[in-house]
Amino acid sequence: MTRNAHKGCTTVIPVDVPSDEEVSAAFSKGDPDALRLLYQRFGALVFSLARRSLGAGPDAEDVTQQVFVSAWRGRDTFDPGRGSLAGWLVVITRSRIADLLRTRQRDDRVMLRLAVGTSTEAPAVPSDQVVDRVVLADEMARLPEAQRLVMTLAFYSDLTHEQIAEALRLPLGTVKSHIRRGLRRLRSRLEADRVPH
Amino acid sequence: MSHIDPAILALRALGEPTGTSHDDHHVAQCADCQIELERLTRVVDLARQDGPLSLEQPPPGVWEQIAAAVGEDAATAAPSASAARTEPVVGAEPVAMTGAGRVRRVQRKHQRLTVALAGLAAGLIIGIGGAVGVAQLASAPTSQVVAQVELRSLPQFPQWQGASGTALLQNNGAAKLLAVSVTAPQRAGFYEVWLLGRDGTSMISLGDLNAAHTGTFALPAGVDLGFYSRIDVSLQPFNGSTVHSGTSVVRGSLPTSAVGAGSRA
Repeated sequence: MTRNAHKGCTTVIPVDVPSDEEVSAAFSKGDPDALRLLYQRFGALVFSLARRSLGAGPDAEDVTQQVFVSAWRGRDTFDPGRGSLAGWLVVITRSRIADLLRTRQRDDRVMLRLAVGTSTEAPAVPSDQVVDRVVLADEMARLPEAQRLVMTLAFYSDLTHEQIAEALRLPLGTVKSHIRRGLRRLRSRLEADRVPH
Repeated sequence: MSHIDPAILALRALGEPTGTSHDDHHVAQCADCQIELERLTRVVDLARQDGPLSLEQPPPGVWEQIAAAVGEDAATAAPSASAARTEPVVGAEPVAMTGAGRVRRVQRKHQRLTVALAGLAAGLIIGIGGAVGVAQLASAPTSQVVAQVELRSLPQFPQWQGASGTALLQNNGAAKLLAVSVTAPQRAGFYEVWLLGRDGTSMISLGDLNAAHTGTFALPAGVDLGFYSRIDVSLQPFNGSTVHSGTSVVRGSLPTSAVGAGSRA
């Protein structure tokens, strides 16, 4: 695919969202700004995982807070050679959720909460599939605008790639390239974050 | 043996029948291509399972707790909470909620406000909870794209310079759908999509964008797009207010051709 084929597509990346490499490098160095960058980049990922496991309420916020505090205090244990920063945070998040659920189980009030039906699903440590969906959402949000729109239409509309190209007034080759690279990028991200720590 | 075009493999993973019988033959025989197709299909299945993906931003207070816990200087700016300080809302006043739903109607003394921004927060506001998941598009029999609108930041909001977006007006036979995608920085709060009336004071809330800054919304049946001809995306703080915050991130106008086609939704 030549660069020319991308003519006309917008690839503006959000200006104040740091790249994963920037965050990872700053974090490894113990840069004072690193925790802020880490939270800015992965706050939604961690919080979404916690929300999906724990439901609405303060628990998800508490877990989110604990994850970033733990990550900062344990930053020496992060080894970029062993996997991605996001994957490492996911491991910490699952661990904190598990801790909280154990506490909840000891808490009689949880029985009361379940009994009155305020919780429709039994809270559980997020499954691999839940983690994968949240990671996928995070990576979708990172795609450049044009590619994100193409991928959204490809996933959720009934439009063919020709119709998407026509609708977005993009060259057919560009749409095909967005789809091919987009799927590959999503897959790579999923695989990177799944590496066990 | 040359492998199948990766783009064709990707489209097949999405369920689009494409390629030639030669490609079929190749995939049937080639373990590498089969594995690649399976891996891509897993991504597609995961994305489609339960509909569109979305992330939730933690509430602003969480960062303050983290910063306090690690003993950071309180002067360290919150990463996104700082952005929660939006522009002063011109003409904002308490909102009267009517009914339990998102439908709300605010009427107030009309003021001649020449600044477009002022008009956004004032006047008659009708919000209609017309948001539908993008997945609903999938069940639409045929989606015909009526118009594509480029959304741009406004000169009066220099802090959003560089923000941009695209809105796609579609007609699936049963309804008009507006798919919106915005490229803008992550900020505290959420992005909300509005149709603005030509009088500068009327507006219809279509719904909120997800964490990927995308969303697809059903337009209210019968909406006059000749009047509600502009698409606006606002940044809304988490303050419970249902009124336009007065902060317009991007905006665009429907072409007159689409207005004609869309006026009888």
